[in-house]
Amino acid sequence: MNPGISKPSSVTRRQFLRDGARAAGLAGLGGLLGLVAERSTAKGTVWQIDPQKCVRCGNCALYCVLEQSAVKCVHAYALCGYCQLCTGYFEPDPNDLNTGAENCLCPTSAIKRTYIEDPYYEYTIDEQLCIGCAKCVEGCHRFGNGSLFLQVRHDRCLNCNECAIAKVCAGDAFRRVPADQPYLLKTDTF
Amino acid sequence: MNPAESILTRRRFLVGTARAAGLLAAGGSTVSWLRAASPGRDANPFALDVERLQHTDPKLIHYEQVARFQGCAPDPRRIAVGPDDRVYIAAANAVTILDCNGRLISEIACAAPVRCVAVAAEGTVYVGVKDHVETFDRTGQRLATWPSSGRRTWLTGLAAGEKDVFAADSGNRCVLRYDKAGKLLGRIAERNKDRHLPGLVVPSPYLDVKLAPDGLLRVNNTGRHRVEAYTVDGDLEFFWGRPSAGIEGFCGCCNPVGLALLPDGRHVTCEKGLPRVKVYSPKGVFESVVAGTETFYENAKTGALKTRSDGLVGGLDAAVDSQQRIYILDLVANDVRIMQRKA
Amino acid sequence: MALLWLLSAVASLAEQRFPPPDFEGGHQLPVTTTPPARALTLDYLDVGVLGLSLGLAIWLVYRRRSRKGLIVLSIFSLLYFGFWRHGCVCAIGSLQNVALALGDRSYALPLAVLAFFVLPLAVAIFAGRIFCAGVCPHGALQDLVLLKPLKVPPGLEAALSVLPFLYLGAGVLFAATGSAFIICEYDPFVPVFRLSGRALMVLSGAALLGLSIFVGRPYCRFLCPYGALLKLAAAVAKWRVRVTPDNCTQCRLCEASCPFGAMREPQARPGTQTHARDRRRLGWLLLLLPLLLAGGGWLGYRFSAPASRLHPTVSLADLLIRAQGSPPKIGALTPDDLALERARQAPQEILAAAAAIQRRFAIGGWIFGAWVGLVFGVKLISVSVHRPRTDYEPDSGDCFACARCFEYCPNELVRRGVIPATTLTAAAPEISGPPGLDRS
Ligand code: SF4
Ligand code: SF4
Ligand code: SF4
Ligand code: SF4
Repeated sequence: MNPGISKPSSVTRRQFLRDGARAAGLAGLGGLLGLVAERSTAKGTVWQIDPQKCVRCGNCALYCVLEQSAVKCVHAYALCGYCQLCTGYFEPDPNDLNTGAENCLCPTSAIKRTYIEDPYYEYTIDEQLCIGCAKCVEGCHRFGNGSLFLQVRHDRCLNCNECAIAKVCAGDAFRRVPADQPYLLKTDTF
Repeated sequence: MNPAESILTRRRFLVGTARAAGLLAAGGSTVSWLRAASPGRDANPFALDVERLQHTDPKLIHYEQVARFQGCAPDPRRIAVGPDDRVYIAAANAVTILDCNGRLISEIACAAPVRCVAVAAEGTVYVGVKDHVETFDRTGQRLATWPSSGRRTWLTGLAAGEKDVFAADSGNRCVLRYDKAGKLLGRIAERNKDRHLPGLVVPSPYLDVKLAPDGLLRVNNTGRHRVEAYTVDGDLEFFWGRPSAGIEGFCGCCNPVGLALLPDGRHVTCEKGLPRVKVYSPKGVFESVVAGTETFYENAKTGALKTRSDGLVGGLDAAVDSQQRIYILDLVANDVRIMQRKA
Repeated sequence: MALLWLLSAVASLAEQRFPPPDFEGGHQLPVTTTPPARALTLDYLDVGVLGLSLGLAIWLVYRRRSRKGLIVLSIFSLLYFGFWRHGCVCAIGSLQNVALALGDRSYALPLAVLAFFVLPLAVAIFAGRIFCAGVCPHGALQDLVLLKPLKVPPGLEAALSVLPFLYLGAGVLFAATGSAFIICEYDPFVPVFRLSGRALMVLSGAALLGLSIFVGRPYCRFLCPYGALLKLAAAVAKWRVRVTPDNCTQCRLCEASCPFGAMREPQARPGTQTHARDRRRLGWLLLLLPLLLAGGGWLGYRFSAPASRLHPTVSLADLLIRAQGSPPKIGALTPDDLALERARQAPQEILAAAAAIQRRFAIGGWIFGAWVGLVFGVKLISVSVHRPRTDYEPDSGDCFACARCFEYCPNELVRRGVIPATTLTAAAPEISGPPGLDRS
C-alpha cells in the first residue's frame, strides 16, 4: 500500500468494525440455524396428492412444469369392481361396450381393458400415455368405487421446491410427504 | 468512459432510480400482459360433462315432495318403514327410529356398523350388523343375535317375510335365507351353471333384497344393471333392466342400489352416480320418476364424496309406507324426503 | 421394500374393506406400483458436491488466482447443479424454505436444503462471494455467455442494485406466510435447465440470457435475492479479492477490467470544505431514515391486503364472500367452482384461516415496508459517504470473485512469469493493455 495516502488509524478502525460485523453476522447465522434446525428433518420431502382431497379439477394435466405431467392415474385394484361397464373407461352413455375410441373417456387412450373371466375386466393405466387429466378418475368416482385416483409419480417428478400444481390445486390436495414414504395410496389412507 | 462519469453521486443515483422505476414499470406491465394472455383457471378442458343427463323431463315426474327431515345419526345406509309407519334408519352403529315427521322416538344401539334393517309385519326388527343379524322386539329389547354365516359376509339388505328372513350378502354375492329362529336355510342367487344361475355381480356393497307381493324375491344385480326375481328356493324366474344413462335404464357401472315395492307389485328403484328414484311396472317397464337428479343437489355434485373403507360411495335408498308414500333416504345429505303421488 | 410395506398394509386392512370379486380362474390382483423418490443419499451427495466446489473455488480464487480454473468449475457446476439437477433445489430458492420454516411451525425443513442455504453464506462471511464465482449454476450460465460487456451507467447501476434487497424482502414475506415461493416461480433460468416450462418463463429466461451477452450477470446484479444476502455477508468478509497479488502501483490498467461494475478507484480524503458539507448532508439523511422506515412500513401495511390474495386460501375466501347467495351450479364445474364447493363445505374454517393469514400479512407488510425504507435510506447514505481508498480494489460486496481482473494487473503477470519484473519499474502507466491476454 502507498504509505503517502494511507491512514493507519482509520484502516485499523475499519478493520475493527469489520471484525465486529463479521462476528455479528456469524452469530446471526448461527441463531437462525438454531431456530430452524429444531424444525428440520434429516429426511427429504416430496410432493404428493391426497386422493381423498382431490376434486378432479383437471389442473394436474395443465400446470406441471414438465411437458407431460408427472401426475398419473393409478389403480387401487383391490377397490375395483372389475366392472364390465367401467365408468372410468367408457363415456357415460357409450354406444357399445367395446374398446372403440368413440366410447372411451380417456383423451389419450391410456387405459387398457383386459378380459379376466365372465363378467370381469381389469383396467390398467399406461403411464407413458396418461396425462393425469383425472377424467377417468371422475368417472370412476362419480359412478363407481373410486378405485382410480391420481398420484405424483416419483420416477418422473422433478420434486420442484414448490410444486406448480400445488399452488392451483382446487382441492388443496397437494402436500409434502417424507421422501421414504412418497405415496398416499387409497388402500392405506383409510 | 471517462473516470469522472463513472463516479457515483447522489444525483446520479436518484436519476438512475427514476430510470430504473421506468424500466421496472415497462417490464412489469409486459409480464402482467403476458400472464393475462396465458390460459386461466376458469375452465377444465377435461371435465366429464354429465350435465345433459342431470335434467329430467318434468312430464315424467309423477311425485311431489310432501315432507323432508334430517336424519338423526351420521352415516346413514338403509331405510325401512315399519307397520306402524315408523321410520327405521340404519346409520353408524345404530338403528334410529323416527316418526313420520322426523322426530326421534328411540334408538337401538349395536356394537358394530349397522348396514341394513327390516321390520316384520308383527313388529320384530331385524338388523344387519356387519356380518350377522340381530333381532329386537318393537320396544327395542334384544331378542337374539344370529351367528355370522361366513368370512366374507357383508350384509347390505334385509327382507322379512312371514316365515323367513332374507339377507343380501354383498361380500359373498348371494342372498341368505334364514328361518325366524336364525337358522340358515339356503343361499339364493349364487352362480350355478346347472340351475342356469348367472350369479350376482356386485362391484360395491349395495346388494338389496325385497319380498314382493307375488311371493318372489327381488334382488338388484347391480353389476348387470338388472332386477332379478327369485323364488324363495332360489330359482330365477325372470329379470328386467338394462344399462343406460337415459331415464329408462340404470346408469353407471352398478345400479340400482336400492329397491322398494309398492303394494301392487310395482318397483321403486334408487340409483347412485346420477341419483334418481324411479317407478317400474311389476314386469319392469319404466313408468315414472319419483325424484330426478336435480332434486339431490348434494348427492349429485362432484367432489362431495370420499372413498371409504366400507365401499359406500353415496347413493339413495327408499321405502314405502302404508299410504303408498315413498320415503327416500339420501346417503350424502343425510335427509329423508317423503314423496306422494301427484293428484 | 416399499412394496412389502404396502402389501402388509393391505393385508392388515383386508377384513374391513369391501372384498373384490373372487375370481374362479384364480386371477391375482396386481399391486399398484410405487416407483421410489430420489434416494436421500443423492440429496446428501449434492450437499457434498456443493461443499467441495466451494472449497475448490476458494483455492482457485485465493491461491491459484486462476480464471481458467474457475471457468472449468463453472462449467461443471452448470452441468451438475444446472442441467443434471435441473437447478432445484438451489441456494437461491432455499432462503424461502428457511423463511417458511420460520413462519410455519408445521413445516419440516429438510437438512439438505438448510445446508444449501447456510454453506455459501458461511463461506461468504469469510471469503466473499465464492459461491457466485463458480458454484452457482445461475451465475455460471450468465458468466459463460458474457461476450461483449457494456458498462451500465453508475446511477442506474446503483438504483437497480437495490432491487435484490426488495426481491429478497418480498420472497421472504410470501414464503413465511406460506403463500408462494415467488423466487422459484419467477426464476428465469430453471426453465432453461429443465428445457421446459411455462411459455412466459421460458421467454423471460431467453431474454435475460440474451441480455447477459452484453450486460454482465444481470440476474445476479439486479435481481438475485440470495445474492443480496451474500453481498451483506461478503461486505464484512475476512479475505477479500484483490486485483494485485502484492502492491498496487496505481497503473490504472485494471480500471475497466470488471464487467460487473464492482471495481472501485482510489479516492483521496475529501477537502475540509466538502467534508463539512458531506457531514451536514449525512446528518439530514440520518434524520430522514426513521421517516423512511415509518413511511415504508405504513405503505407496506396498506398494500398487505391485496398482496395477501396471492395466498390460495385468502383468494378462496374472497371468492366465497363474493359468491355468497348465488345459487349452486350444476353441470360441468371449473376448478374455481370446485374450490368454491370445497369452501362451502366448511365456510367458517376457510374464513377463519384466511383472516389469520391476513393478520400475518398485515404484520409482514409493516416489516416489508420498513425494510424497503431501510434499503433506500442506507443506499442514499452510502452514496453520500466518501470512503478514502488507496488502491484499485473491487467492492467486496459486489465482486463475484470471477478472477477476470487479476490478469490486468502487471504485478500479477510478473507473479505468473508472463512478463519480466523490470517492465514494472520502467513505465507502468504507459502500458496500454495486458499483453498476450484475451479479455475473457
Ligand atoms: S383419463 Fe386422464 S387421468 Fe385417466 S388415464 Fe386417461 S389421461 Fe390418465
Ligand atoms: S413437483 Fe414439479 S414436476 Fe412434480 S408434479 Fe409438481 S410441478 Fe410437476
Ligand atoms: S389439481 Fe388437485 S384437485 Fe385438481 S386434479 Fe390435481 S390433485 Fe385433483
Ligand atoms: S448472485 Fe445469485 S444468481 Fe448470481 S451467482 Fe450469486 S447466488 Fe447465483
